Amino acid sequence: MIEVVDLSKRYGPKTAVDGLSFTVQPGIVTGFLGPNGAGKTTTMRMLVGLAAPSSGITRVNGKPYREHRAPLREIGVLLDARAVHPGRSARDHLLAIGATHGISARRVDEVLEVVGLTEVARRRAGGFSLGMGQRLGIAVALLGDPRTVVLDEPVNGLDPDGIRWIRHLLKDLAAQGRTVFVSSHLMSEMALTADHLVVVGRGRLVADVPMAELITSVERGVHVRSPRTSELVEVLSGNGVRISSVTSDVLDVIGLSVEDIAARALRAGIPLFELTPQQASLEEAYADLTRDVVEYRGASLGEVA
Amino acid sequence: MTTFGGVVRGEWVKLRSVRSSGFAVLGAALTMIVAGLVFAATIGTDSDGADGVTDPAGITLSGAIFAQLLTGVLGVLLMSGEYATGMIKPTLTAVPSRLPVLAGKVAVLVGTVFPAVLASAFVVFFAGQVVMGNAGLPTARIGDAGVLGAVVGSAVTMTGVAVLGLALGALLRTTAGAVSTLVFLVFLAPGLGGLLLPASWRDNAVKFLPSSAAEAFTQVAPAPGLLGAPAGAAVFSAWVVVPLLAAAVLLRRRDV
Repeated sequence: MIEVVDLSKRYGPKTAVDGLSFTVQPGIVTGFLGPNGAGKTTTMRMLVGLAAPSSGITRVNGKPYREHRAPLREIGVLLDARAVHPGRSARDHLLAIGATHGISARRVDEVLEVVGLTEVARRRAGGFSLGMGQRLGIAVALLGDPRTVVLDEPVNGLDPDGIRWIRHLLKDLAAQGRTVFVSSHLMSEMALTADHLVVVGRGRLVADVPMAELITSVERGVHVRSPRTSELVEVLSGNGVRISSVTSDVLDVIGLSVEDIAARALRAGIPLFELTPQQASLEEAYADLTRDVVEYRGASLGEVA
Repeated sequence: MTTFGGVVRGEWVKLRSVRSSGFAVLGAALTMIVAGLVFAATIGTDSDGADGVTDPAGITLSGAIFAQLLTGVLGVLLMSGEYATGMIKPTLTAVPSRLPVLAGKVAVLVGTVFPAVLASAFVVFFAGQVVMGNAGLPTARIGDAGVLGAVVGSAVTMTGVAVLGLALGALLRTTAGAVSTLVFLVFLAPGLGGLLLPASWRDNAVKFLPSSAAEAFTQVAPAPGLLGAPAGAAVFSAWVVVPLLAAAVLLRRRDV
């Protein structure tokens, strides 16, 4: 379990993380989502004691990170896939990190197997592709068999096979009852793996919701085409129903299901030519959530001209 | 659980698993030996002849000034390499109290460098005396006053400069910055100080530099104008310990 309480981090006049509070539960995959520069990596660095908060606290499995006597057994973290000396082999990299916790060479070979690097374990890491570096970083995170796993943008640089492998790994880890906290700036990736989302923008919490709830919250209503829209408006109007006219023969109806609209139209004898539920993609939902908090946004060509 | 022994083992794995460490240690030992033998073979050949040889032990050990650049750079790389590669992140997440990492690096650095340079100092001393003896020049014996101290002292100096390099690497966190600072302090400052400083306080300033302080306690016949041996030892120790303490404070305090 991860607890973040009123966490802030300021660099001079710039606030990278601004009063962030959330809890990450064990047994599910929690996505940490936000545009670039939203403070995701800074938050993760504070979780594992690499950066000191300006104010607020973080706890991992009930304690501040620095108070754990065997931190690698509590939380495994991938922050930077390139965090390897290019002249050192993958195996030596893991042995050096594991030695601090008395982790055996047998366990090192085991995690190399898990991430699929056994065959290149003794090769210098400088020759690794970005994807292999990413796998080595994940091996570091898993080395201490930790109860909590934190991965910053783990799919970066992975090929489609690798991405599928990560998705399965994350779900497996969660199914074993571990806390899994994964950052990404890609909604599409989170949609496939995360059960819960923590969304941040400009260092602030934007949303802390179960994935299922986020999907329903972005329902955009029903697209209705009929030659007799003015009569249809009267039939459909009611409490909690919002109707907007798109063109003279098309309505957008929010607050009624497709079945309701069809039944009422049939009773009134109004023909319908089209009846389409409009579900915004998660990508759009994410854009909606973060529209006001995107740090760096390219202007469209029209705006520039 | 993390233990200091484990941290030291981890640092040892890091040191031995990168080729440059072996090159630096071996290079320092070879430089010490080759340079000392070259000096021993050429010292009596100038116009002064045998009269120029006032410190036969010191001549064979004078490769230390070059060798200590290699041990110093090894020290720098041990720490700056962590920042350059990003390895510092997994290193400090594994040991969040951080200070054992610095102590562990000092332990493996001293444990690797000192035996190697001590052995090379003895080798070049004995071999160099043979070379000079064959040339009919004065020689020193290991039992002569101050000679054992000079041999061991040169190894202590080269090891101390390695630790100074480590501290500079931790303070400056870049290889280029730390190596330049090290080269300036150990190699350039004594000469530049002599050239640029006003005569009135040149001698007073230069004798407190690390290499001059080291000469004060490692030479059998110290040059005039140096500190006394105990004072030289104290000043040289300060050049190692003070940067190391500053590095420890900043390592704990700074974000990574």
